[in-house]
Amino acid sequence: MCCSHSFEDKPLPGQKPEAFDITAVKGMKFFDPHVHMTSRTTDDYQAMADAGVVALIEPAFWLGQPRTGIDSFRDYYSSLVGWERFRSSQFGIKHYCTIGLNSREANNEALAEQVMEILPLFVYKDGVVGVGEIGFDDQTAAEEKYYRLQLDLAKEAGLPVQVHTPHRDKKHGTQRSMDIALEHCLDPYTVIIDHNNEETVKEVLDRGFWAAFTIYPFTKMGNQRMVEVVKQYGSERIMINSAADWGISDPLAVPKTAALMKLNGISAEDIELVTYRNAITAFAQSGQIDEADFGVNIDQSAKFEGNSILRGGQQPRVDKSSIIIS
Amino acid sequence: MFGYDTEALRNLLATIIQNNIKPDAWAWLSNQGDITNTATFNAAFAMMPRKTGKAVITITPEQAQELNTIRPGFTIEDWTADRLGRVYLLSQANATDKERYFAVIENLFLAAEMNELVALYSALPVLAYADQWVKRCAEGIRSNIGSVLEAIMYHNPYPAENLSEAAWNQLVMKAIFTDKQLTLITGLNERNNPELARILMDFARERGAAGRSVVPELWHLASPFTDAGIVNAVKQQYTTI
Repeated sequence: MCCSHSFEDKPLPGQKPEAFDITAVKGMKFFDPHVHMTSRTTDDYQAMADAGVVALIEPAFWLGQPRTGIDSFRDYYSSLVGWERFRSSQFGIKHYCTIGLNSREANNEALAEQVMEILPLFVYKDGVVGVGEIGFDDQTAAEEKYYRLQLDLAKEAGLPVQVHTPHRDKKHGTQRSMDIALEHCLDPYTVIIDHNNEETVKEVLDRGFWAAFTIYPFTKMGNQRMVEVVKQYGSERIMINSAADWGISDPLAVPKTAALMKLNGISAEDIELVTYRNAITAFAQSGQIDEADFGVNIDQSAKFEGNSILRGGQQPRVDKSSIIIS
Repeated sequence: MFGYDTEALRNLLATIIQNNIKPDAWAWLSNQGDITNTATFNAAFAMMPRKTGKAVITITPEQAQELNTIRPGFTIEDWTADRLGRVYLLSQANATDKERYFAVIENLFLAAEMNELVALYSALPVLAYADQWVKRCAEGIRSNIGSVLEAIMYHNPYPAENLSEAAWNQLVMKAIFTDKQLTLITGLNERNNPELARILMDFARERGAAGRSVVPELWHLASPFTDAGIVNAVKQQYTTI
């Protein structure tokens, strides 16, 4: 889930950024286990596919403003397993999702009750690889109530859990999220604690959970810091994601960070683990991920529906350098 | 409520499914289908691929023939096991309580993912109360998901049997706009009509003006209701693909 933006932490003026050289990671495959494609354009899908992203997970979250009725939730969940999945397949990217009631909207209890009623309709669907993203935001009693209920749902459905950790009072919120998961007898190996930083990672790993890091400008991890984390903690049970959404974020965060790791001498094995393999290992516990599906269209009969001449389900390329639009 | 022998269909589908899925999956599926327990029915529908797998089924020519005798035009060839399992599940639903039957199945449409939509629209020809699903079918034609459109358009007798002329014409135009194979549409010639010919000729002129082409079947559909001279004049604008 995205963040409340702070635009105060701008990069220092005068620093010349190094260009992203995609050749550094050419031929590598990436899995972005947290990205909100519903808020992204087709240009982003194209760029991700070009950079080697072969599969992704779109966690259910809020829409930047609160929903006011149950039908909005239903249509959103159904778009995650429907239209957005199809849109992604047009670019050869396998789209999975996690389904859950996010923490912010857990605070509207009347609506949250109704959401809990429809969640079972979605968590068993094909390609749903977990319950998420759930957890704490303000750390209210209502958030805790629905976090607990959804942990039970995940347990019953045999699904991993993708846990959003709060921006404010982060360290305490992260600890509390883990305590509660253990109270509900979840195996920490099925729980992915998201949005870690240098202050939270050690305990998350020590207690046996997966530690996900969000590379997100200004408000979460920068990827130079991420390189240092991997140097210090290695690659076991660590994964990175972009959490790209409607805010200023970067859907290429995973391949870019892989390139930066390579430039900084991190081994190819470690890079593969934190940018691809670990996310698959964690979420494949759902029984819903088959690597054989990557890089092909989900449905071979799927074709782009427009007024174009497409075959085989691929989006056409637009020559953006041309003034002609035909 | 049904226009065909439902018992015969259920028995035949049961035989075909048993030949195509594992015994434990069949043991599970054969106990599903009670729509008075909505939550269980919904869950069974959603988790079908987990139970049946997604392999393409095999069906003998005799079975295909028998299917066509029981429900003319209905075919399941090249379906996957989960798609067939879902349609079988729907065929098990008791339709006596019309309101409940409609509400439960309509709700599946509202929360469906892509493969579920394919199965649901594939089931239209075997659902009870055929006239109740006309609006749902027209809604499906508005979909932009290729496999969903094909489930409605290809080898599916429901649209030709039930859609109004206007909705039928939308189906044909949508098929053209989305590069579907018109020859696979059940009832294409039987439902051809003058209004469709007019729309097709307007479309051909528009495409010509844009320097684009049209599929050759367009002329085949437009010709019975259009002056040959006009067809030829429009054809001169460009070449067909």
